[in-house]
Amino acid sequence: MMGRLMQAEFIKIKRKGFWFLAFLGALGVVAMQMVNYGVRKDYLFTQSEDRWGYYLMNIHSFTPLAIVLGIVILTSFLSSVENETNAWKQIIALPVSKRMVYLAKFTVLAIVLFISSFLMGIFTLLYGLYLGLGEAIPSADLMQYSFYPYFASLAVLAFQLWVATVSQNQAIPITIGVVGVIFAYSASVLPDWMIWKWPSLMNEWNDPMINVWWGLGAGALLYLAGMLDFTRRDVK
Amino acid sequence: MEYIVETKNATKNFGKEKAVVGLDLQIPKGEIYGFLGPNGSGKTTTIRMLLGLMKPTFGSVRIFGKDIKKEKIEILKRVGSLVENPSYYPHLTAYENLETSRKILGVPKKRIHEVLAIVRLSDAANKKVKGFSLGMKQRLGIAAALLHQPDLLILDEPTNGLDPSGIIEIRELIKRLPKETGMTILLSSHLLAEIDQMATTVGILRKGELIFQDSIETMRMYAKQTISLNVSSSEKAWRSLLAKGIKAEFEKGTILLSERSNEKVAQAVSSLVQDGFSVYRVQEEKKSLEDIFLQMTKEEQAV
Repeated sequence: MMGRLMQAEFIKIKRKGFWFLAFLGALGVVAMQMVNYGVRKDYLFTQSEDRWGYYLMNIHSFTPLAIVLGIVILTSFLSSVENETNAWKQIIALPVSKRMVYLAKFTVLAIVLFISSFLMGIFTLLYGLYLGLGEAIPSADLMQYSFYPYFASLAVLAFQLWVATVSQNQAIPITIGVVGVIFAYSASVLPDWMIWKWPSLMNEWNDPMINVWWGLGAGALLYLAGMLDFTRRDVK
Repeated sequence: MEYIVETKNATKNFGKEKAVVGLDLQIPKGEIYGFLGPNGSGKTTTIRMLLGLMKPTFGSVRIFGKDIKKEKIEILKRVGSLVENPSYYPHLTAYENLETSRKILGVPKKRIHEVLAIVRLSDAANKKVKGFSLGMKQRLGIAAALLHQPDLLILDEPTNGLDPSGIIEIRELIKRLPKETGMTILLSSHLLAEIDQMATTVGILRKGELIFQDSIETMRMYAKQTISLNVSSSEKAWRSLLAKGIKAEFEKGTILLSERSNEKVAQAVSSLVQDGFSVYRVQEEKKSLEDIFLQMTKEEQAV
């Protein structure tokens, strides 16, 4: 059933620019560094002995922002597909459980974001190679900067999906999302418990893995809370 | 009798507002059940409860003899529905719209072409629904409801937005389905004329309460003729008739005779004349179903 529901979800996001956004987000993050390095490559090369490490750090300065923004846009998008003509009532009147419907939405978003993160990793690698940052490619770091922010941001995804699906008015999730993007941008001054800080991989112990676990743990809890709330509500 | 849909004391409150009160709906198998009521009388809320979209505040809903609370998915496998305005994805084609439901229902692809043919949308199958007229969207909604050949079809105001020929087509389709497939149909409308032409059983809702539920023939019986008398000092005249044991009702300055035989009318008239009342007019009035419906659903006058 889950597979069929997800196929239905993938049909619904056709021609809506969903995949294009996923691609653009990934490219955008690397494009920022294309400009940066394009303009002052020689200067940036003098900044650190470890050119790959410095490059990855630069890339990572925009990743949390792009991910949180992407989450806000895609979640709102996916629920607006249903809200537009109140198609919720049509799906829920089909022989599927509401829990499955919610899970399908979450999974589709998680997949699209994962693909976006994967693309970002590829683009990062390709531009890094083009820049000639050195023979030794730090593949572990590359993986970390590509996928840790993704897992760390699953809490934000679960939260935004919850708000977006239960709001009749999509201005509410968008507003909350914009505040979230600002939070993600000011991650360095936020306390560790705030979910919008996690994609930055910063914490007081300097261990990015902690954020990954937090993202997965809090993500699971927020997902459950959102799903239960969605199941409980009457469909208008 | 076997009831496909049976609710017991189904009640739905929105905060303090009572949308549906103590509903005991009974829909026998193979019937076309016309669910009538003015706007805002609770028809759509009831339908939402039947489909498990809303949980009743209290009371029970049983469909195919199963409790919707416990076996919702089993029930919905056999129910097709179109609730209120049709829902669709405007950026997808008619075919793709049906495909999203088909995936979930797990019926063969050829059903899509079949239902599109049934509602005469085959030519528009690959056009985006964005450009459809309201009537076409409505047909698409009906097509979606028919995809899995349901045993119970629930249609909320199905002829909304259709042009006259479209209305006739859908009406014929609705009449045909129970005969051909044994389907039971619940049809809601605020238009009596529409229900009159399709339904075999009628339920009338007023302010969330079911005030009538019986066959359409029983309802037609109410459409009997009456004799109305226009007389001078009518209230007094009415009392004099009652005093003589002639059954009559008094309404808005006219006397209505319940018995219509020639002798009874003559007797009433001569009695009035003897008592010195002037008889201006004796008229035969036929109550239409429309009148009965209006009378039934009329709000009580504030005292």
